[in-house]
Amino acid sequence: MQKLALFVVFLLMMMSAFGQEGHPLTGTWSGDWGPTAAQRNHVTLVMTWDGKVVKGTINPGPEAIQLASVVLDVTNWTVRIEADGKDQSGKPVHVSAEGKIDDLSSAHRKLSGTWMQGTTKGDFRLIRD
Amino acid sequence: MTLDLLEINVNTMKAFASAIIDRPYGLGLAIALLLFAAPVFPQRPFSATYDSSRPLKLQGIVTRIDWVTPNAFVFIEVRDTTNTIANWAIDIGNPIELERDGWKRSTLNIGDVITVEGLPTRSEARQAFAKSVTLMRTGKRLFVPPTRRAAAPAAPAPRWPDGQIRLSPTPGKTGYWGASSSKVLVENTAVKIPMTEDGLLLNISDADKVAPFLPWAKALYEYRQRRFLRDDPYSRCVPPGGPRQFQMPNGFQFIEQKELGRILVFLGGGDRNWRVIYTDGRPLGTAAEAVPSYYGFSVGRWEKDTLVVESVGYNEKFWLTSAGLPHTEALHLTERFTRTDLNTLKYEVTVDDPRTYTRPWTGSWTVQWVPDQDIQEYFCEDNSDFIR
Repeated sequence: MQKLALFVVFLLMMMSAFGQEGHPLTGTWSGDWGPTAAQRNHVTLVMTWDGKVVKGTINPGPEAIQLASVVLDVTNWTVRIEADGKDQSGKPVHVSAEGKIDDLSSAHRKLSGTWMQGTTKGDFRLIRD
Repeated sequence: MTLDLLEINVNTMKAFASAIIDRPYGLGLAIALLLFAAPVFPQRPFSATYDSSRPLKLQGIVTRIDWVTPNAFVFIEVRDTTNTIANWAIDIGNPIELERDGWKRSTLNIGDVITVEGLPTRSEARQAFAKSVTLMRTGKRLFVPPTRRAAAPAAPAPRWPDGQIRLSPTPGKTGYWGASSSKVLVENTAVKIPMTEDGLLLNISDADKVAPFLPWAKALYEYRQRRFLRDDPYSRCVPPGGPRQFQMPNGFQFIEQKELGRILVFLGGGDRNWRVIYTDGRPLGTAAEAVPSYYGFSVGRWEKDTLVVESVGYNEKFWLTSAGLPHTEALHLTERFTRTDLNTLKYEVTVDDPRTYTRPWTGSWTVQWVPDQDIQEYFCEDNSDFIR
């Protein structure tokens, strides 16, 4: 099993070693968030950079949540995201996420950290498509 | 086989190799994986491969010569003070350039004793880039890296019958644009910035002097620099878009198709790509309208003796130069090509990308005409590191 894991790690390294493109946050990110490893919610996060601010949307579509603010700290490549939307029952809900970009050189870089949605706290893991 | 092939992940590779070779059919699997993996890293950036801060001197016996593009290698056996023999791979540079400078494969022979002064790799690999190679039996220095080549005799820039400057060879002649005076792009200022030939800053705090970065762009530029430029997309044979196409060692050529209202730029590097500059008066459009590409959408016009080219529609998949300058799809380049005489092309580029830089900025260099020759065949994938 350990050997298989090593093999997978190797393949991932070969696939994701290079490919940084433009602003580190721009693009479509996919993954999930949830309070536990078993309770996960799909997340698609789309972000753009206009030269002054990062704008974006969580889960584009009928239940889209527009990002209110995105702050990128380039000294350590951490990100803080704030958004206000509605939950599945239509009640207002605030989303707050803090994470860190890993594999910055990869087109398929990763963004992970803590995710707060309403009163539910969990973690999130996203990979740039 | 190049010894620093997988230097980045040496420890992981050792574990990986051990893991899979122990498996049934493990050796076959390993070979298949290496064949699969080889094209991923076909051409490492110079500064990512070699350490210019640790010059070395080696003396040994030539055991093999690989005269292949883009880099030729000489292999030598080196005996150390404990009488232990080690094999070293000596990178002597691009054989096309070496041949232009008068060297041939037969300049060295198996069994010759040579002294190499050069730079080691950043890894533990026994590989070095030769700054000079001396043949001991004659004392003659071989394979000195090319300096500025002898140019054709001085003459005015050639012109078309209508009086317009000609960027391509005159009828009956050959030639192309070869060595650039710089392999980096920095803002034209009076400040001299210490850096290696491929743009690795000797002092990272000089980043602010390179270009007027926005904070994210400066941080990303510094990140790439701290990794010795090893993430360079060109190392994966991604085309050298933007200004970098005019810094490639294999040169470029203009094909001026006046009757079609366009100029083609044939590139010797970047897998013999080409680029189209429309001169038929069509509008430039905006970056938002263009399909993003490596060479963008370009329109050109003549301002007296200078070809002025405006381009938009770039993708974000390449670096502006080997040194790691970032950009976004908002990039707008204004390039000015001025053939000041037969042998000299002045290239000036203004970079306007408000999502990456605080203001437009301009850099420039010159390119030398290579007379009486054509661009040689070169394909990025055909790298000596991986065909051995």
